[in-house]
Amino acid sequence: MVWSVNRLQSVEAEAPPHTLSDRANRLIDYDFVDSFRRPATQNNWVRDFNPITLLLVLLSISIIAVAVPNLVAPLLACASYVVIAFLARVGKQFVLTYAKLFVVVGLLLFVLRALFIPGKHTLFALGTLKISAEGVTDGLRFALMIMALCGAVALYFALVPMKLLMGALEDRGVSPHATYVILASFQAIVDLSKNTTVVMEAQKSRGIETEGSILNRALAFLPVLTPVLLSSMSSTEERAMALDARAFNASGEHTHLVSLRKVPGSEIAVGCAALLAVLVSIVGRMLSWF
Amino acid sequence: MSTKNGFSRFVAGYGRLTLLMIPIGIAINFIGGQIAVLLKLPIYLDSIGTILVGALCGGIPGALVGGISNILNSITSPTNIPYAILSIIFGLLAGWFSRMGVFRSLWKTLLSSLAFAAVGGGLGAIITLILFGGLSAGGMGVIVGIVHAAGMDLNLANFLVAIPADVVDKVPTVLIVYVILKRMPKRLFAKLPLGSVYLQKTPKRGVVSEPSSIS
Repeated sequence: MVWSVNRLQSVEAEAPPHTLSDRANRLIDYDFVDSFRRPATQNNWVRDFNPITLLLVLLSISIIAVAVPNLVAPLLACASYVVIAFLARVGKQFVLTYAKLFVVVGLLLFVLRALFIPGKHTLFALGTLKISAEGVTDGLRFALMIMALCGAVALYFALVPMKLLMGALEDRGVSPHATYVILASFQAIVDLSKNTTVVMEAQKSRGIETEGSILNRALAFLPVLTPVLLSSMSSTEERAMALDARAFNASGEHTHLVSLRKVPGSEIAVGCAALLAVLVSIVGRMLSWF
Repeated sequence: MSTKNGFSRFVAGYGRLTLLMIPIGIAINFIGGQIAVLLKLPIYLDSIGTILVGALCGGIPGALVGGISNILNSITSPTNIPYAILSIIFGLLAGWFSRMGVFRSLWKTLLSSLAFAAVGGGLGAIITLILFGGLSAGGMGVIVGIVHAAGMDLNLANFLVAIPADVVDKVPTVLIVYVILKRMPKRLFAKLPLGSVYLQKTPKRGVVSEPSSIS
C-alpha cells in the first residue's frame, strides 16, 4: 500500500535491467512494473477525469435537477447520466442498475404519492382511493428528483474506483488514517461476509437449525454471528502490527504505489462551468425565472 | 507527526486499535443485515457494529461507524443518505450508555433498546415526514400508506408504524452486543478506550477482601 516508489526508481536507475540475468528478465513483466511509474489510467477519457472533478460535475447536475422546479430538468439530468455512462463505456452496466433503481425506488415513490396525495382534479377512482392530477404531477416530479440524486451516486461509483477517490482525497490533504478506514471497511465487508458463509455452513453441519419456524431461525443468529465477530475483533491486533510494520504511523509523508495524473486545464474549466451552471440555476430559482 | 491534521490527531487520542475497530464495526453492520437476510428474519439488525464500537471505543468512533456505514450503504440505495443522522446518534448514545455501565447488566441493556428505538423510530419517522412527505420507498412506506388510506392521520401513521418496528429491531441488536461484550477476550478490553468499564470487577459478596487496616 505504501511502498516507496521513488526509492525503487532511483535504485533501478543505477542498475538497469540488462544487468539482471536473462532468466530474471524473462520473468519480470516490465509493462506491469512500468504501469506504476505512470499515473493511474483507466483507458477512457471520462474515467480519467480527476475523481474530485467528476464529483463536482455530477453533484452540479443533481443540484440543478432539484433547483429547477419543473419536470424537464430532472429528466434531462437522468438522461445526461446515461450519456456520460456511455461515453465512459460503462453504459450497459449502468443502465441496468439505474433501471433497477427506477423500478424499485422511483416507481414506488411515484405510485405512493400519486395514490395518497389528495387534489381537486380527480382523474379516476380506485375503490376509496381517488387519483388526482395534483398527486400524479407531484409524484412524478418528486420521483424524478430523487432519481436524479440517486443516479448521480450510482454513476459516480460506477465511474470511480474507491481506491482512486481515496488517492485523490489524500492528494487534497485528507489524512491517510481517514482514507485507510474507508478502504479497510470495503475489505472487511468482503472478508467478513466470506467468513459468515463458512461459519453458517459449519454451524449447520453440527446441527444448528437455520430453517423452519421464525424462532428457530432467530435462535440461529447468535451462533453464526458471534464467532465471526469475535474472530474479526481479535484480528484487529494483527492488523495493527501489520500496519506498524509498514510504517503507517511513522511521521513524514506517505508514499503511494498508485498516483493520479496532474489535473489538466480543460478539466478545471469543466469543473468551473459546472459550478457556474449551479449558481445560475439557484439564482434563477430565487428570482423565479423558471 | 508532521502531517498531523484533524483526523490523525483524533486517532492518536483514541489509540490505534480504535482506528482498526471502525472498519470492523462497519463490516459488522453489513454482516448483521446479511445474516438477517440469509436466515429470512423480518428485521434489519444493521446497527450492531455501530452500537458495539460505540460501547467499546466511545461515542465519536461509534458515530463514525454509523455515519460511514450509512454512506457506503447509500451507494446501492441512495435514498438512505438522510437517515445517516440516526446511525450517528446511535453511536453517540451507545458511547454514553457504555460509560454509564449500561451494557454491563442485562436488564439495563434491554432498557437501552427503548432509547435506541425512540431515536430510530421517532426521529426516523420525522425524517420520512420532512423529506419524503411521510411516504418513503420500501416496505415501510407501503404499510404507512395502507394505514393512512384506512383513515389515519399521516403523521400519526408514521410514528405508529415506525416505533414498534424499531423496538423489534433494536432488542435483538442490543442483546447481541451484550453477548459479544460478555464473551470478548479480556486482553482486548485493556487496549480499547472504554474497555476499562468492562474490566472493573464488582466485589463479590462472601469474598473476604484483603485486610488493609492491619498494621
